[in-house]
Amino acid sequence: MKIVSDMTALLTGMWITWQHIFRRPVTIQYPEEKRTPYPRYRARIVLTRDPDGGERCVACQLCSAACPVDCISMQSAEAADGRRYAAWFRINFSRCIFCGLCAEACPTLAIQMTPDFEICKRDIMELLYEKEDLLIDGCGKSHDYNFYRHAGIGVTQPRGAGPKEKPPVDVRGLLP
Amino acid sequence: MIYDPLDIALMLAKIALVFFVILTLAAYLVFAERKVLAWIQDRKGPNRVGPFGLLQPLADLIKLLTKEDFRPIGADKWLFYLAPAMAAIPAIMIFAVIPFGAPLRLFGHTVQLQVADLHVGLLLFVALSSLAVYGVALGGWASNSKYALLGSIRGLAQLLSYELSMGLSLVPVVMLARSFRLSDIVAAQAGCWFIVYQPLAFMIFLISIAAECKRIPFDLPEAEGELVAGFHTEYSGMRFGLFFVGEYLNIIALGGLAATFFLGGWHGPLLPPVVCFSVKVLAFAFLFIWIRGTLPRLRYDQLMHFGWKILTPLALLNILVTAWWLVLRG
Amino acid sequence: MPKLIIDSISVEVADGTTVLEAAQSVDIPIPHFCWHPALGKAGACRVCAVKLVDGPVKGIQMSCMLPAQDGMVVSTTDPEAVAMRRHVIEWLMINHPHDCPVCDAGGECQLQEFTIAGGHGIRRYTGSKRTHVNQDLGPFIAHEMNRCIQCYRCVRFYQEYAGGTDFGVMGSAGKVYFGRFQDGQLESPFSGNLVDLCPTGVFTDKTARFRARYWDYEMAPSVCQGCSLGCNTTPVARYRELLKTTARQNKAVNGWFICDRGRFANNEVNDPQRPRTPLVDNRESSRDEALDALLLRIAQIEEQYGTGSIAIVGSPRLALEGALLLPLLAQCCSAGALCYFTSQEESDTTLFLTGLLSAERSASQQDVRKSDCIVICGCDPLQEAPMLALAVRQAWRNGGVVYVIGDGIDLPCTFTTVASLDAVPLADAKQPVLICSAANRPDLLAATLKQQTHLKLAVLFPEANSFGAAQLAMAQGAISLERAVASGTIKGIISVEADIPPQLLAGIPFVAALDWRLTEAVRTAQVFLPTTAWVEMDGTAINHEGRAQRFKKVMHPGLPLRGLGPAVHPPHIHRSTPPGGDPQPAWQIVALIIAGLSGERIAEPFSERWKRLRELEAESEGVMTHDL
Ligand code: SF4
Ligand code: SF4
Ligand code: SF4
Ligand code: SF4
Ligand code: FES
Repeated sequence: MKIVSDMTALLTGMWITWQHIFRRPVTIQYPEEKRTPYPRYRARIVLTRDPDGGERCVACQLCSAACPVDCISMQSAEAADGRRYAAWFRINFSRCIFCGLCAEACPTLAIQMTPDFEICKRDIMELLYEKEDLLIDGCGKSHDYNFYRHAGIGVTQPRGAGPKEKPPVDVRGLLP
Repeated sequence: MIYDPLDIALMLAKIALVFFVILTLAAYLVFAERKVLAWIQDRKGPNRVGPFGLLQPLADLIKLLTKEDFRPIGADKWLFYLAPAMAAIPAIMIFAVIPFGAPLRLFGHTVQLQVADLHVGLLLFVALSSLAVYGVALGGWASNSKYALLGSIRGLAQLLSYELSMGLSLVPVVMLARSFRLSDIVAAQAGCWFIVYQPLAFMIFLISIAAECKRIPFDLPEAEGELVAGFHTEYSGMRFGLFFVGEYLNIIALGGLAATFFLGGWHGPLLPPVVCFSVKVLAFAFLFIWIRGTLPRLRYDQLMHFGWKILTPLALLNILVTAWWLVLRG
Repeated sequence: MPKLIIDSISVEVADGTTVLEAAQSVDIPIPHFCWHPALGKAGACRVCAVKLVDGPVKGIQMSCMLPAQDGMVVSTTDPEAVAMRRHVIEWLMINHPHDCPVCDAGGECQLQEFTIAGGHGIRRYTGSKRTHVNQDLGPFIAHEMNRCIQCYRCVRFYQEYAGGTDFGVMGSAGKVYFGRFQDGQLESPFSGNLVDLCPTGVFTDKTARFRARYWDYEMAPSVCQGCSLGCNTTPVARYRELLKTTARQNKAVNGWFICDRGRFANNEVNDPQRPRTPLVDNRESSRDEALDALLLRIAQIEEQYGTGSIAIVGSPRLALEGALLLPLLAQCCSAGALCYFTSQEESDTTLFLTGLLSAERSASQQDVRKSDCIVICGCDPLQEAPMLALAVRQAWRNGGVVYVIGDGIDLPCTFTTVASLDAVPLADAKQPVLICSAANRPDLLAATLKQQTHLKLAVLFPEANSFGAAQLAMAQGAISLERAVASGTIKGIISVEADIPPQLLAGIPFVAALDWRLTEAVRTAQVFLPTTAWVEMDGTAINHEGRAQRFKKVMHPGLPLRGLGPAVHPPHIHRSTPPGGDPQPAWQIVALIIAGLSGERIAEPFSERWKRLRELEAESEGVMTHDL
């Protein structure tokens, strides 16, 4: 009997919702109650430094390309030692959706997400974070990576002195 | 006819009382709905304004009053402004005929606890609930928006269809009570509630009024998932508030009528009649909320199919059976 | 006409076409590094491997080296070919420094593209990388040899195509090095093309070093304004700054390349000193104020000195749109003179030479490249229009003979110096081309041209729109400003992007200037209105052959972000025009002046015989204007 099974289905549903009325709510009463986010929580973005204290970001524009809401902008520049760095670097947190794509795109592990999610401001302009606001004095989640040690163009070490590199070729030598 | 000034004063007092009670009730019904839904969904619900969130309706009111009163370009100005009232006023007027307690003896008068004891009370109710359709239809049409128009077309078809089964389900009640007067109907249930004789009619009536109130699972005219907010998509502020309150007034009114027609009105054991009646009304309101927390929305074709091919024939059949039974009994 | 099947599509191609080109003709891409349409094949990179499954040749072959033959059945997707290409990419990457994030080619790098297309993602090789020391190649080109994949494109272009001698390949085996004998600026005036050619980031544009990425570029098809050849370019801008210019292909004009003069021309556009604000009596004002002041002064001058006291001065560098409106402007303010040229001599020669050029007569760069006998008559292409010298070299490489009349001329090819035109065997040549310039007076040419009907003529004019200005000057009977001023009636000059020498401005009571460069006229002007540079507007220029070409707006005018103080950037207020964003295209300002004077509104500068240019596409080969 279809009608019986249908009625049972309806009543079962009603019974289940009835039971739930007496369950303890799962709501967490923010801001009185707070939960500790996990270390990999995706919130406020920081720019980290490499283990040698240099700025990791090389202003390669990959994060700004990856960002689906276009909230990262920057200008790259060249330092005296040939290092590429961000002359300015800006994240518009009023637009950021904390998707983490920037951190995923970053080849130097410079841009990282932190669990600090409480960054609301009364004035929207204060959500415009400049490089000074973003740059931290630490390595963030990875403690040993330094992009320039691996990129063989000689910024932190002379050319040809990096790991797995032969010394520069003598082009005038005749030996094969 | 000569009116006693006291009668008139009592009448006005009753009107004021009914107004005050049902408007407050409607506001708190909104609150109760949010709370109960929250519990069903393992949440806490509104709990920030006042103790246990009890002042939430007030906060809602302030919010609605201070919101921008917005009218879309190309909307029909007067109809757009009138429609919310057209939805809310019939709902309020239905209360005129509902007897909410046993007659009182006051200053030597017998006071009916009912604003107007019309001898065609039931018909008035049917007429008023038909009028409420205009609010939905015109509100959606006047908005000059496709979502609103679609919502109001749905609403129109749905309300017309289910009115039929609702009306038909009430015929056996009239046959049993031999009167259209609501106080007579209540009186006729002094011994045994009509729900006992007419469980089928009760079910049909219950389903129909759920559809009449546009409640889940029959909330197609305002289906958020499909039509943004249906016929009241373009409304904001207090005009939206009127539609909203109208809906809850409707719940109370129809709950009261269901109690009157099938559950013996204010008759009840132990408790004083007014309390008995209120308990029944609130139980209906809770039932509606509970259903909303449980059931999904019907598809439009299912809705029409159910109304025309099942409910209406069933109601007709019920009338025939009742008539046959009444004739047999003599 | 061999007929072959590539990936089950059958194609018929001309004799001598390679399988790679045949595949490209039906939109089947085959990765390639060393093959280049202008440089041909070298077979150095091995990445264009395909498999021939049937026909005269079988097995894995290099598609760039293999001429298409009848009955070939080629598969680019055969697992063996795919594996071959993947392995090739893998070994090309063995020595790569893995520094894409700090490489300016990143995002526009063929090596990146084909590495990803080839499916090589993870380094398996555990040995160490060979490294090189870079050279300082001057202020324009940066060198990063570690990124080289030995495709030999650079050296083939530099030495073979462009005839440069100071750059080459050194070393052997895995150690080959592409550079100069010692540090120093590259001497070839075409060295910038190395940037476009190198499929990876060995050569990058130093003037745009670390400025932006490909996906952020503002780009549009444009036309070089460096000389009258009208080479096709794609300028690149970012943050209101012209970053660099790259070559754009136009087979009839520049082919694949451009010269360094055209390429490294950013400074003028970006110049922070560039006049960008309207001025009235050297006081900054709004556009409308300046326009009103100009209208008022025109009326005053006319009142004071009578009608006919104003000269409207255009110039051969003004885009055609603006030049076309000048006659109307002259009419509206009843000007005494309409001038397109300032000096009488330039006017005479340009008009005379333009008169000689008909659609059949004028030689395009392609005609020069195809010619078998070239006579260079008293001009220096390498200085005046470098790309024409490159075209001459291509003719020479194809066996053409080059004759030069006059001395002190250098060319990137061998040539015979002759005393006069009579010494050149023009009659025997199949497609001779005569190259002369507006700088010397070649009246004597007329006679030769009459005799040699098959002789084509390439004239080097000084400016990008000289031809157009001359056409208009002829049609309107315009005179030179020199002559107009000499008549003594001119009391007011409205200069529209004209370069007027100070002595002509000296005695003039009223000067108004519309320009984007800081010229003498702008300095002396009482009313100044800024106009846009060519990269900031849609416009048209007619090149030396009479070919009209459209250039498109690359960027919005405005002060470059670079160098803006924190007060202006980041912007904390919303505004519709950026700082310094007042410039408008010259023709629009001229149209506004006309509207102010006569009430007539002009929305479309092209009318009457020029109507056909309305639909001119920037990506087309252009339209010859001789017979419009
Ligand atoms: S992706 Fe990383 S290195 Fe590149 S610009 Fe962004 S933060 Fe800097
Ligand atoms: S988290 Fe997402 S939205 Fe935010 S900056 Fe990164 S890429 Fe952009
Ligand atoms: S420098 Fe560039 S163009 Fe020259 S061989 Fe190396 S990769 Fe090829
Ligand atoms: S030859 Fe002339 S038009 Fe061509 S790129 Fe050089 S300067 Fe520009
Ligand atoms: S493109 Fe064929 S071998 Fe390089």
